[in-house]
Amino acid sequence: MMQAPDSYLIERPPLKTTLAMAYTLTPGRAAGTFLAETINRRMVGSRCRSSGLVCVPAQDFCPRSGGADMELVAAPDTGTLTGFTATEAGIIATIRIDGADFDFVHRILGADVGALSIGQRVQAVWAETMTQSILDISGFQVVATAPLGRIAPLNEPAPALPSKPYALDLHYEHAFGPFYGRLFDEIGSSRRIMGVRSSSGEGVLIPPREFDDISFTRTGTWVALPDTGTVSAMSVIHLEFKGQKEPPPYIYAEIQLDGAVTRLIHSIKGIDMSRAAELVRPGTRVRAVWTDSRTGSLSDISHFEPIAADDAAGR
Amino acid sequence: MNNPNRVAVVACAQTELRPAWSGAQHVDLISATVSALLKGSGVALADVDFVIDSGSDVLDGRSISNCGFLGAMGAHHKEESRVEEDGLWAASYGVNKIAAGAAELGVIIAYSKPSESDVSLFYASQVEPFYQRPVGFDHVAACGLQAQQYLVRGGARAADFARVVARSWRQAARNPHVAGTQTLTEDEIDAGAYVAAPLRRHMISRPLDGCVAVLLAGAAVARRMTAQPVWVTGMGAAMDSHAFAVRAPGRVEACEVAAKAAYARAGLDPRSAAIAEVSGASAAGEMMVLEALGLAAPGQGFAAYAGATAINLSGGALPADPIMATGLVRLAEAWRQMTQPADYGLAGVNSAIVHATGGVGMQSHCVFTLEV
Repeated sequence: MMQAPDSYLIERPPLKTTLAMAYTLTPGRAAGTFLAETINRRMVGSRCRSSGLVCVPAQDFCPRSGGADMELVAAPDTGTLTGFTATEAGIIATIRIDGADFDFVHRILGADVGALSIGQRVQAVWAETMTQSILDISGFQVVATAPLGRIAPLNEPAPALPSKPYALDLHYEHAFGPFYGRLFDEIGSSRRIMGVRSSSGEGVLIPPREFDDISFTRTGTWVALPDTGTVSAMSVIHLEFKGQKEPPPYIYAEIQLDGAVTRLIHSIKGIDMSRAAELVRPGTRVRAVWTDSRTGSLSDISHFEPIAADDAAGR
Repeated sequence: MNNPNRVAVVACAQTELRPAWSGAQHVDLISATVSALLKGSGVALADVDFVIDSGSDVLDGRSISNCGFLGAMGAHHKEESRVEEDGLWAASYGVNKIAAGAAELGVIIAYSKPSESDVSLFYASQVEPFYQRPVGFDHVAACGLQAQQYLVRGGARAADFARVVARSWRQAARNPHVAGTQTLTEDEIDAGAYVAAPLRRHMISRPLDGCVAVLLAGAAVARRMTAQPVWVTGMGAAMDSHAFAVRAPGRVEACEVAAKAAYARAGLDPRSAAIAEVSGASAAGEMMVLEALGLAAPGQGFAAYAGATAINLSGGALPADPIMATGLVRLAEAWRQMTQPADYGLAGVNSAIVHATGGVGMQSHCVFTLEV
């Protein structure tokens, strides 16, 4: 068994983050028409002109032949239960709509899972308010007397819904691990930026890591770096984009802290921004300006600001 | 066209698989594993021609996460690729590179930290967003529906689900690479709450954190490196329809196709394989996979455990499912059983079947055959 990678234990709660992803989804012709027709309580399917097979809900491609020549059809809202399970989301079932050749996955409402059996007749329960969603069908309920429906031509279908806004929020709790853990602990508690010596011993790596990327050998001892350094690259950001921490313009720079062989990305402020490109350039000496808060993250450094060229390590 | 170069697994390394590696980052797990892989292998990182890795950006919580993990993978200034499928697909990519003569030595890495995210959202992100995701259809529901379809198809019994799980956890309890595995009795398993009827709590695979790495070598290099090269003799992969409802009920057709391709290449009769390491998303899923692999007749998956082929001596995926790495762990487990058979109470292991799966309700499958 290998040496455990968590050999130095860091008492540090995980970093909680959320990736909030905003989308504009394009349903296409088949699903777009299905979603546009729920307000009319019409169930839309599609028939493949080459295989003759019918999908409900409508699909743009035949699941069997892959054919794209699909004719939209009107489907009944009745069918037969072909399978079911119960999860936290309720009873999830496969339903074969009358006249369809493939199953439809949806919910079963108002039933005890123990009372369900394959082959039972079901009928759609339409929602009170329509939101151009599959949930405009709240679910299906068991109706022993549900009439046997059939596939029919779809007369004057509503124009397909062109797009649909959508959001997916993904939540994380990231472990810091022994190396990032100590880096951020010391930033928070001691205002010290801790790196590790590269395996060649020629400089300090931040963020610290167990293995030197280039030689893939173990890194050396911990080293506290000063909070001064030299700009190695910079850009004045004028563009607005999602996730931005402050309004533009501001300077994003790669800063090589004194003694480090790696570069740190942070912002540079404390200057007349109208002269940004003139006042800050590769070679400009900078120093960290710390905030009053001690969160133990890189945002404890508010920004870097230029210092005199002959201001040495600043220790 | 020249004959393809023969390719062997020459070394494997793995972290312990734990419910949570809360004291380590991905990079910490990865660099420790790759360094252990190279240690004592007789080769240095400079000798490695390429690195191929498997992981999921959604699970990792960062886009193109392999870019951030490059240094830890030993991939600095190397040819590196990422496969967004289980690590066994990454291995098949690597085997093909070497077989084609494009490289001699490659590192395959797969890692997973599902403890850092919400696994249900990981699977939800894979589900179709207009018709399926809003109604609550997800991986767990797919596993439940699949288990019911399996019972309906005939032959299988729900009572066998608990037996399969108890057996898996018993094996895993003996596996030094799997942590947090107590022995579960069938009664305890049958007393678990339903998560997706007819599947109860332990009948769906348990996500764990961990990292695994495998060193692949062409024949000339492999023979110089080790007296026990484990040859990859066959590979196959196939993917089923994304829409769960249009897949064949009660069986895993994509697995049948993948296995057929691998066996044809190897000239292997699956029933002659000494061991099989397979990935099942659920107890029913594992039995369906055994049937698809030709280790049992349709509906008779449970009989495979009493057959001539030793199934999942490692415990398999039910107690230990490091999502995206589970199949590559199966390859590492098979390699250990083939190179150190005495540790498993085996006299010798000549041939093995290795299986990986991925996606909602086991949409895709990859099969390797190994021989010594």
